Amino acid sequence: MYRVGYYILLFVVAALLQIFFFNTLSLWVYFAPMVYTTFVLLLPLNASSIVVLLSGLVMGVTMDLTMGTAGLNTIATLAMAYLRRPMLNLTLGADIVRDGGVPTPMRMGRRQFWQYLTIMVILHGVLFFGFEAFTTAYFGHLFLRFMVSTLASILFVRLLAALFTPKLSMR
Amino acid sequence: MYRLLEFIRRSYVTLLFVVFEVVAIGIYARSTYYTQATILARANAVTGGLAGTITDIGGYFSLAKENRALTERVAELEQRLAFYDGMVDTSREVDISELQYEFMPARVVSSSINRSRNFITLNKGLRDGVMNDMAVLSPSGEAVGYILDCSERYSVAISILNTSFRTGCKIKGDGYSGSIEWNGGSPYEVTMCELSKYAQIEVGAEVVTTGVSHYFPSDMRIGWVESFELDDSKTYYNAKVRLAADFSNLYNVVLVKYIDREEVVGLEQRAKGMVY
Repeated sequence: MYRVGYYILLFVVAALLQIFFFNTLSLWVYFAPMVYTTFVLLLPLNASSIVVLLSGLVMGVTMDLTMGTAGLNTIATLAMAYLRRPMLNLTLGADIVRDGGVPTPMRMGRRQFWQYLTIMVILHGVLFFGFEAFTTAYFGHLFLRFMVSTLASILFVRLLAALFTPKLSMR
Repeated sequence: MYRLLEFIRRSYVTLLFVVFEVVAIGIYARSTYYTQATILARANAVTGGLAGTITDIGGYFSLAKENRALTERVAELEQRLAFYDGMVDTSREVDISELQYEFMPARVVSSSINRSRNFITLNKGLRDGVMNDMAVLSPSGEAVGYILDCSERYSVAISILNTSFRTGCKIKGDGYSGSIEWNGGSPYEVTMCELSKYAQIEVGAEVVTTGVSHYFPSDMRIGWVESFELDDSKTYYNAKVRLAADFSNLYNVVLVKYIDREEVVGLEQRAKGMVY
């Protein structure tokens, strides 16, 4: 089992950053980064699908309870957690994924890591902002919010990953 | 039976995912802004203290600006008081029970402007006398939202910057009323809908609350008309309104309790019951 303590710490830090910092940022109406996804994204490559799914569920429910979003975060995070393994298999190949290790640019390759991060955050963003609006009435605003927030999420998730992954063993 | 068990063993993760996802979508689809405010009010029992401290730190940097706004507001109120003092019979003592509204200051614990449904959490709750449906005003007296739910120590208000928010509005000094709503875009702008074509509207006109909804006292400033046009049926105006309150810089608010609200709303409901 990979450094369980560090993953608990990552869960707590990602959740606290989201609740007390990013959720209260009143910089711009279109700027709503979702950094808590870092926890699911950085789980070991070979973590079993059920562990990843339950981790996504716990993180999603935690966010829903603190943000008052009644299921919205759970919908997006569960889908991301479920599709993580197929996405990794597609990006890296099933053999490398089975070998395990922490998802980092060194372990996966810089291009593959960015690809993985970007696609997963986009998937989360499409579901989160799509379900949040629940209408296409103001598609322009919805699209701008999705674009700005997803771009910001990718950058902040990468930053948080860079802070945490050196503490986790590579393989 | 064996095949079924084998199927479940091989695809239990997918089955669990589908079950969790369906439950989450079901809960979300049935939720309203009241549900969301209720969850937030309960969550504040855990997160409210730390969130308040963090907001205090942020608020410290805007103290100078806020003090200037408060001083201007005090000066304006002093001037109005002097005007009314000159008008009323000072020999008659004012009976406090005649007042329609009670005012109470509160501090913002957390708020957002970057969601389509934004809420404001305040540091006053049931034990301080806060009740549902109390109006929330900025320190300068501009409409901000109204209380949806309270816990013992905290309360949650729906913000004007919430796509589910609606309240009556009118052009100041005019009798025709419309409705204010936010489209999820700019945090500085809302839309005034369904204002009669006979209303005296012009760019720069002040938009205020009507007082009809029983949330806000009448004539509380909402903002100013930026642009307007007749709708397709040529019977109503739709106008863009620049908000007076700065939601990205909101650290203190004033809660307003309409003392006769319960009595008035009860009467109205009884009357409706008689008609239907």
